[in-house]
Amino acid sequence: MSLTIVRLYHDLLGTYGDQGNAEILIHRARARGIDVELVEVAPHTAVPTQGNIYLLGGGEDGPQTAALEMLAKDQGLNKAISHGATVFAVCAGFQIIGSTLPGADGAKISGLGILDAETIYDSSPRSVGELVIQRGSVVMTGFENHQGLTRLGRDVSPLGSVISGIGNGLEAASCTRPEGAHDGNIYGTYMHGPAMARNPELADEVLTSAVGELVEYDDYWAQALAAERRFTLTRKV
Amino acid sequence: MGSLRLTTAAAAGRLASRLSRALGRGRGETMYGRVLLAIDPQALTKLSANRDIVLVSGTNGKTTTTGVLARVLADGTDEGVSTSQFGANMRAGIAAALSAQPRHRFVVLECDELYLPAMYNTLAPKVIVLLNLSRDQLHRTGEVRKVAKLWHDTFTRDDVTFVIDRDDPFLDYAVSQAGHVIRVTFGGRRHPDAATCPACMALLDWSQGDYRCTCGLGTQLAQVRSDKRFTGPARNSVLAIEAARLMGAVVPIEIQEQLTVNPPDRISTYVVDDVAVATRLAKNPESWRGAILATTAPQVVLAVNARGIDGKDTSWLWDIDYSALHGSTVVCTGERQLDLAYRLSVQGIDVTVAQNFAAAVRSLDSNSPIQAIASYTAFQDLAAQHMGIRKATGGRT
Repeated sequence: MSLTIVRLYHDLLGTYGDQGNAEILIHRARARGIDVELVEVAPHTAVPTQGNIYLLGGGEDGPQTAALEMLAKDQGLNKAISHGATVFAVCAGFQIIGSTLPGADGAKISGLGILDAETIYDSSPRSVGELVIQRGSVVMTGFENHQGLTRLGRDVSPLGSVISGIGNGLEAASCTRPEGAHDGNIYGTYMHGPAMARNPELADEVLTSAVGELVEYDDYWAQALAAERRFTLTRKV
Repeated sequence: MGSLRLTTAAAAGRLASRLSRALGRGRGETMYGRVLLAIDPQALTKLSANRDIVLVSGTNGKTTTTGVLARVLADGTDEGVSTSQFGANMRAGIAAALSAQPRHRFVVLECDELYLPAMYNTLAPKVIVLLNLSRDQLHRTGEVRKVAKLWHDTFTRDDVTFVIDRDDPFLDYAVSQAGHVIRVTFGGRRHPDAATCPACMALLDWSQGDYRCTCGLGTQLAQVRSDKRFTGPARNSVLAIEAARLMGAVVPIEIQEQLTVNPPDRISTYVVDDVAVATRLAKNPESWRGAILATTAPQVVLAVNARGIDGKDTSWLWDIDYSALHGSTVVCTGERQLDLAYRLSVQGIDVTVAQNFAAAVRSLDSNSPIQAIASYTAFQDLAAQHMGIRKATGGRT
């Protein structure tokens, strides 16, 4: 079995440490005997269309807009999705794959339209701090640091429901305090940490969407970190 | 001191400072400064009048470089130099440093990045040294380019001379409206946080190992060319020497060599059960990269916390390449030891964890060298002699 992971514009969307998600996916896939190739896509180079998992991270306002413009022009990501690829997008990346978002000067611009989700900037203070969510039976944690608030479209599920923190910050049809988004193979979240370091279940869910069922393995440090964060942060709630 | 109010404020500040020290709340400078400023809000303006002030700011190396500059300036001019102590670099700490020896003509002050605009406007500095800007405490200072823009919008007068490392595009942008700038180059190097231009947002061209932008950023000539091989601490020494020269100091060639070949760094040695551990302060991706590369011992202790000043989000630990630690014995400690342990294990490095610094050191072979890297509050905890650890030598400034 082989897997191609595509990390998009690490230079532009690497401000908040989300590039660790790629290393975690590679590590967890190899531990299951899966061959993995990582493709780094630099600005102004073509986005491959045959990848299995595409990763976008958080970045600053200007680089976010630059990344969006290049992805919109390239169309490789949209083609890959039409072939069934998985997308995992964090923070600025989550906003980019939505339908609209504020541009570098604050005016509303079109996103990639991969997710039915609109992001607005209002006068509320930046959402900064630990974020704890319930996703099914699992409590997940991350660190959020974002200006935008995101409203999910009617048919898009949140990734989870906020226990503490802000998350998307705007009510959705199915959830009063939504965090992130999940629509088929498309994932969006405001959780840094990186999200896949602190939530091994999420990493495995994304891997499963690309390669099918995974065997168990001894991921001691991942489980220890996830458990410590969940214990520490829910104890305070 | 000029006014009765200022004299009263200083006396009250000294009392509060003694009280603060007696209660074990630190060294007392910040408390002194707070009381001083509460009683005389004009204290900063009054204490800075008719003095030649140099400010030192940037993400990494402020405390060390401030110490180097103060020493070089004192030795090279035979004048008294007042300076910041122990990294107190916000309003209160600066007030305390200014009032410590109010008759000294020269003052060298470390200044927090976000306080620099206010100090630029209040203290009328002669020279400002800008060392570098990179990601740090993202939850507090915000993104690098926001700090650069704040500086850029502030630095518009021509009564200050800036000394900058022009290889950092954020700094060249920050001073692009300033009247007088001494640009020092070390031959160019890729900045990990500057894919796009701080001025115009276009992608920077780094293909030649230095940045170019269609908007013209980076095209100003450098006045000083220095050595490409210099690490961060050595580069900061070069900037300090240039600033001291601007203030009239004579800096002998031997001193220059000493400060660049073997530059001072933020290292303290702590002793656990008679085992000495050289411990380096590192607090953000850039300083960790430097610290990992500078680590040579076969046994290494890494300590990470995530309290306010450390940066509450530890995601940046994943941005660092730890491959230089392959083959070393590594023990992680601190409140976020598990974040670090998982990150290292993903990079294929064997790790263990320990409850605290002393336990980490005790778990290692006492007959083989041990070095440590500690994030900000982990380092402060050690400096406060917690956990029964003895500090062998004072932190070199």
